[in-house]
Amino acid sequence: MPCYYDLMLYSHCGTKIVKQASNTMWGFLMSKEFNSKLTDLKRYFFNESDVRKFIDFLMTKAEVIAPQTKGEQSFAYNVVKNSSDVALEYPRTMQPLKKYFLPPVETLLTFKMSSNEFSEEVIEAKKQIFFGIHSYEMKGIHLLDYCLGKGKPESNYLKRRANALIIGISYKPDKYHFATSLGIDIEETEGFALFFEKVTEGYLVFVVTDEGAELIKDFSGGKPIDEQVNIEELPQQAKIKYHYNRLPQVFEHVYNSRVWDHFADKCVGCGTCNLLCPTCYCFDVRDEVGLNADDGKRQRFWDGCMLNSFAEVAGGENFRNKLAARMRHRLYRKFSYITKSSGELHCVGCGRCTRYCPADISIVEIINSLIEDYSAQQKKQAV
Amino acid sequence: MSAQAVKSKPKVAFFDFTSCEGCQLNKLNFENELLDILELVDIVEFREAMDDKADAYDIAFIEGSISTPTCIERIHDIRRRSKVLVALGQCAVTGGINAMKNSHPSEWVQETVYGKDKYLFPSIPAQPVSAIVKVDYEVRGCPMSAPEYLHVFKSLVLGRKPEPPDYAVCVECKLKENECVLEKGMFCLGPITRAGCDALCPSNGQYCTGCRGMVSNINEKGAVDMLKKHGFSTEEAIKRMKLFNTNEVDKQISWGRK
Repeated sequence: MPCYYDLMLYSHCGTKIVKQASNTMWGFLMSKEFNSKLTDLKRYFFNESDVRKFIDFLMTKAEVIAPQTKGEQSFAYNVVKNSSDVALEYPRTMQPLKKYFLPPVETLLTFKMSSNEFSEEVIEAKKQIFFGIHSYEMKGIHLLDYCLGKGKPESNYLKRRANALIIGISYKPDKYHFATSLGIDIEETEGFALFFEKVTEGYLVFVVTDEGAELIKDFSGGKPIDEQVNIEELPQQAKIKYHYNRLPQVFEHVYNSRVWDHFADKCVGCGTCNLLCPTCYCFDVRDEVGLNADDGKRQRFWDGCMLNSFAEVAGGENFRNKLAARMRHRLYRKFSYITKSSGELHCVGCGRCTRYCPADISIVEIINSLIEDYSAQQKKQAV
Repeated sequence: MSAQAVKSKPKVAFFDFTSCEGCQLNKLNFENELLDILELVDIVEFREAMDDKADAYDIAFIEGSISTPTCIERIHDIRRRSKVLVALGQCAVTGGINAMKNSHPSEWVQETVYGKDKYLFPSIPAQPVSAIVKVDYEVRGCPMSAPEYLHVFKSLVLGRKPEPPDYAVCVECKLKENECVLEKGMFCLGPITRAGCDALCPSNGQYCTGCRGMVSNINEKGAVDMLKKHGFSTEEAIKRMKLFNTNEVDKQISWGRK
């Protein structure tokens, strides 16, 4: 369940914890924390200046990447130059974290045509620390690990991924987030070394892995605490009507639904939803030769199945030349096709596709319309 | 490069039709690449840069739209003498800005421009080169995109098929993580305009005017509805799309109009 540590206040001396809730409420909330994934974890209290100091400390260990403001109202992951630039509260970044493991444009190899030789790019095995990552983003990385590690592993991705240390942070859902509808709690800590939970006057820092414990041990700020904490559920605004474990079943019945045509009418096929999706990993490979008509490089670019040319083959045939078919394919890739082998939904509810769609198409609306269609079919059959 | 390849350097020619000749001038601005280009090919005709003429060409680059009866004769003649013909810049590819005149009665246009002498300057609606002769490849943009031109150029010299992008400018904006221009309240044709410019305008705080024409297989109604959602009327949206794409917009169906 989504929860938010909101009711606990710290006195200004910073050591004594003042419980604001009544006894009965405390009991109710205690039982919630008991279910929470954070219960057994060792914890520290950091005020905001501790957090900034901690980022400075991390910067002495390795390159730190964290969300920062970009433009007028956007956020983007970037290398931290100054700890005060880091956005601790942000709804979502534009590009997902995959940009560091599967870059938007990546040179795979360089070649020489006259001698028929090529050399592969060397991937630097540098340590990177990712700070301030939301739980749905981490889930997206786990799903990419599955997709790119299976079969013939994607070695460039895995090499970069192996050197990543990721530190999580809680977030306040806005009207586009629906991760909790897909079973990804705000406090889901799997994959993080440490997890920062926003409380009224600072952050509770939960130690998730030994690597995280090591970091905290070396850092001089922050105060260890061992009290249980109050939890308040944060309401989510975007909701999928069914429990997420019913979605694969819904997708068994909606392949020929009219819902696809309805939403495809609004779509312009710009591919934004694919490119900003944390679990999309399709790419295109292009060779480009230099002006000496001899040296060249092979690069790969993010691609997307919503783009008209994606399913085009030699001779000009296009297997999915209709937007409805492309949109259906995109959603089936998230809720059905890979789900059959991984057993997981490959959408993480970050809301990027909805938030950045120029035509205002909402993925939650599409799924809910499909659910309606499915439930109407079921009712018909019951008669 | 091997000596053999140098011996058989392709003969390249450049021609201008109705246009501002900006695309051609653009090529002379490739100061870093110009000498490398000359290593690969023999430029045999290029009015903007030299006086020589030739009879036949391996690659002919055509700039500008077809807008007079003489243009038609000339383009047929060039096509007959060229192995490969490339339309260069948006005027040649779609009619470009010149085609805006096609929305008005031809008599009125001629009179506005030439006054009482209009009969001395016969004119036809501005057409893309491909409306008159077969065009093998195209380089889009107003002015033409320099990297795309170099890509087409190198591909043809190497005997490969050029692969210009056929996806929206949005793709390039997203690859560069640009903040969306539409969201800032500007008008932007990026979601339906062909990429290849590396999202030049949106990357520099401007909106996309659609100078590279529209992506193929476009959802016309969706495009107009999208612009309406961002506060532009159907008429305004169509007018804006027509700036560089009158011929393309006019050959499509209703665009959501009744």
